[in-house]
Amino acid sequence: MSRNSLEKVLYDLSTSGANKKLFASDPDKFLGRYQLDAEEKVLVRDYRVRELADRGVNTMLTWGFWLQAGKPNSDYMKIMKREEA
Amino acid sequence: MATIVGGFVVPHNPVMYFNPKGASAEQSAAVYAAYARMAERIRELRADTAIIIGCDHYILFGTEALPPYVISTGEIEGPVDQLPGIKRAPIASNAALGAHIAAVGRQTGFDWTVGRAMQVDHSIGIPHHLMIKPNAGMTSVAVMLACGVDPYLPMARAWQIGEHIAAAVESDGTDQRVVVIGSGGISHHVGNERMGEVNPTFDRKVLGIVTRGDREAMLALTDEEILQEGGNGAMEIRTYACAMAATRAAGGEVVAYEPIEGWVTGMGFAELKVAA
Repeated sequence: MSRNSLEKVLYDLSTSGANKKLFASDPDKFLGRYQLDAEEKVLVRDYRVRELADRGVNTMLTWGFWLQAGKPNSDYMKIMKREEA
Repeated sequence: MATIVGGFVVPHNPVMYFNPKGASAEQSAAVYAAYARMAERIRELRADTAIIIGCDHYILFGTEALPPYVISTGEIEGPVDQLPGIKRAPIASNAALGAHIAAVGRQTGFDWTVGRAMQVDHSIGIPHHLMIKPNAGMTSVAVMLACGVDPYLPMARAWQIGEHIAAAVESDGTDQRVVVIGSGGISHHVGNERMGEVNPTFDRKVLGIVTRGDREAMLALTDEEILQEGGNGAMEIRTYACAMAATRAAGGEVVAYEPIEGWVTGMGFAELKVAA
């Protein structure tokens, strides 16, 4: 379990268009680059931002990660407030 | 001898660009008028250069290395996180002054990380765009404090860095006139479940500390209080502490304050006096 590598994934996705493209097209291949366990990979692949934040991931990253995928901010807030999106 | 002739604390809120209608027309006008008033004050002060003290938002520095404080000693470019109306571009840099401050720091206990061709984010880009760019010919030094990503720079260290900047500017051999700008929002929660909450009571407390030049009260603010009352974004008031110390904590006056939930931030503006 590594908050550090989770933050690295989200930082890399927020700062590189090439990373965003690869993650969008083949998330498993992209996530294979990182020192994440299987559970952590699922959290990222499925945009489970609440659980990422619960593991200590900086919420500036979780928010940016959500928005870079074109997902609505209103859904993000519902998830972070533990309401259904 | 270079001289610090003025100081300011201002927000650097990107939401006002992404969601301009999140504020009422009156609030938006008040915010932009405050920036314009400060740009005018910088002109009145006949400033040559600005030291803009901002903070990274996990945009510039990644998990590979998270520096506690950084100063530009060469070219500056940004903001890397472009905003509607503020495109990424070169920012006129005062590389010599940044290098001088870094050199003085190495002799006096401040081991700056230096940015030789430094990229900056909106925490430098917004105040530069609204306050410095309107004053033709001005240059800037960019300072980034660790306010957005832990481990956070201790408030006391931010204060010490401000005092160090003041001493280093005074030891510069030029006659340039310098303003310092502490760039940060007061209450705001970024990306967490409380995003959108604004706390005017906390905001006014902070502005009171700033305008009284109250060093003890600023240093008495604990991270726990700031996070609880102001939110993770409010950790940015370390930039205010640094600017206060750089102007020798002579107090000042509030120029504007707008608590804007739609912009998720308590937006405070103050001009700092400079101790003689």
